[in-house]
Amino acid sequence: MPGVTAPTRRQVLSLYKQFIRNSNQFNNYNFREYFLSKTRNTFRENMNQEDPKVLVNLFKEAKNELGVLKRQSVISQMYTFDRLVVEPLQGRRN
Amino acid sequence: MFRSVCRISPRIASSAYRAIMGRPVVAKTLAQRFYSANVSKDQVSQRVVDVIKAFDKNSPNIANKQISSDTQFHKDLGLDSLDTVELLVAIEEEFDIEIPDKVADDLRSVGETVDYIASNPDAN
Repeated sequence: MPGVTAPTRRQVLSLYKQFIRNSNQFNNYNFREYFLSKTRNTFRENMNQEDPKVLVNLFKEAKNELGVLKRQSVISQMYTFDRLVVEPLQGRRN
Repeated sequence: MFRSVCRISPRIASSAYRAIMGRPVVAKTLAQRFYSANVSKDQVSQRVVDVIKAFDKNSPNIANKQISSDTQFHKDLGLDSLDTVELLVAIEEEFDIEIPDKVADDLRSVGETVDYIASNPDAN
């Protein structure tokens, strides 16, 4: 593909930030922690990736996933969940 | 009946006017209270340090480190760019603000972050 430009550092960091922000919004502890660790692991896995083609694909894929994540976190906020034993009682506002 | 009300009302109005306009100093301080940032810089830095201390998921020994305003996220705390983003999200949530990407890119030390939050009128 001619004219493929890899996403810039700032774009990737901004995407990462949106993933973290939206994952934090989950009311359910298990979902929240799952998406946080999945986000961290996926981004770290590809930290040293340098092939622009692969990067473009990863970026596109991540953007789609961000859409799913956003929808699901909004849905998660429509329900209340009991706190799990492992969750601290204080510290989180919701 | 209405006439008496009319006769009284200018007097009330003028005294009310004097009550409001006679104390311009009060009005000014009120305005300042509404428009200035509502957290002091010391409070901001204390809360930022607390957030950093609590941020030990990724780097477990961060709680034992000495944190001053000169502390750099990368050099002193050993956070890489992804960790820094995550820490800034935690700080954003603490103060209920959103740091634009452009600014977040330039925040490299605790002091710079505290300065930015203290200058942000939305922070609380």
